[in-house]
Amino acid sequence: MTVPRPYALLAEITYRCPLHCPYCSNPVAGSLCKAPSRAYPAGYNNGELATHEWKRTIREAAALGVLQIGFSGGEPLARRDLAELIRAAREAKLYTNLITSGIGLDADRVRGLRDAGLDSIQLSFQSDESNLADEIAGARAHERKLDIAAKIREAQIPLSLNFVIHRRNIDRLPKMIALAEALGAKRVELANVQFYGWAFRNRAALLPTREQVGRAYDIATAAKARLAGKIDLFYVLPDYYESRPKPCLNGWGQRYLTVNPIGDVLPCPTASSAIPDLRFENVRTRDLDWIWSESESFNRFRGTEWMPEPCRSCPQKEIDFGGCRCQAALLTGNAGNTDPVCEFSPNRAMVDAVLRNTNSSSDQPCEWAYRSNPKPELTSA
Amino acid sequence: MRAKTISNLIRPTLTKGVRLQIDSTTGKSVLLFPEGIVELNETAHEILSRCDGRTFGDIVCELAEEYDTDSNALAADVRDTLSDLQRRKLIEFK
Repeated sequence: MTVPRPYALLAEITYRCPLHCPYCSNPVAGSLCKAPSRAYPAGYNNGELATHEWKRTIREAAALGVLQIGFSGGEPLARRDLAELIRAAREAKLYTNLITSGIGLDADRVRGLRDAGLDSIQLSFQSDESNLADEIAGARAHERKLDIAAKIREAQIPLSLNFVIHRRNIDRLPKMIALAEALGAKRVELANVQFYGWAFRNRAALLPTREQVGRAYDIATAAKARLAGKIDLFYVLPDYYESRPKPCLNGWGQRYLTVNPIGDVLPCPTASSAIPDLRFENVRTRDLDWIWSESESFNRFRGTEWMPEPCRSCPQKEIDFGGCRCQAALLTGNAGNTDPVCEFSPNRAMVDAVLRNTNSSSDQPCEWAYRSNPKPELTSA
Repeated sequence: MRAKTISNLIRPTLTKGVRLQIDSTTGKSVLLFPEGIVELNETAHEILSRCDGRTFGDIVCELAEEYDTDSNALAADVRDTLSDLQRRKLIEFK
């Protein structure tokens, strides 16, 4: 099999975050420690890759063909060396994007990041107003985000907004769209939560009803038409309500790679927690080229050879690539199964059972567990 | 804006946040922007590398001279390429 070249690196430079959103796709605290190979080492800040290790990783990624880097987390602003890492990425000719909650930014730091070469910022919002937004974030964040959005615009860094949609806020979609307009964003994602990490744990509290999803779709479609030419609006469905799976990653090990805070290299950011039987390589012990081309983790689901039926004989197999490996693992216990969202999957009944619960008349919205930060005492020996 | 309305005086420029760069893996030119990458063919590269404040008319004249072709026929091609990129918000007309 010829190994393609990667186009984009997601650099999850820290799992630390001042927010506690229950839909976070980061590994649930503790799940990192189940497999010794990916324990979060003692003194977790120290377990994160050092500045020089990230710079080397960035250079290796560029040499491998990567053209874009997304700095993410956790909250990437929690690392004081962010500007230095952005500068290193620009020196390697990468397009740099910051994926952030905005908490930790002020006018000086915005200008500092811009001067380091930051190409664009994606700012997340939890809702359209502070009461609900702060309740979801588990922190006083909304008003600060509004202020930060203004500072980003003043610094003239291209800004896109990301509203994370779920059962508790989906009915406020028109107000979120109005906020996006008021903030002068050029691109807005209205993205329903996908169920990985904390979101998987909190699925019962987060999955919207069919009625909510339908209404939101109509609202988003109308807004998209109304704002055409002014704002690029994207509405992402919760995939449990789809009948065909999403073309996850454009295929495993085809275009994307993720490096997590401790240097594990992942074909997908949620793979480390969703697929516990896959062994991931680390940039501290292997170079990125070898990991991308030769490692078992990147080759396990590369191409179409690994596919079971119904994927193997499916005309869609080069279109949706069998869907999402992490979702298959989380729902069926086997990452090598067809994504159970697919209507042809023998496991589709699992997704339907979840939808039935959410849409039954007796179902009540339930409490969620807030995301907590990785703690030193969670480490294994 | 429709293709036929592009006047000779319009100045096509890359949208803020869009970068034109050579992909060192392929040697081809690419447009990089927050959510994606567009690989450019040689014609698009020749056009976009001139979208730096020059007018549409000047760009067409320069290309016609360089490739020794009829500028009317060339103008249609350049117009199509630019309109397509403008629809995708990768360039703006100023």
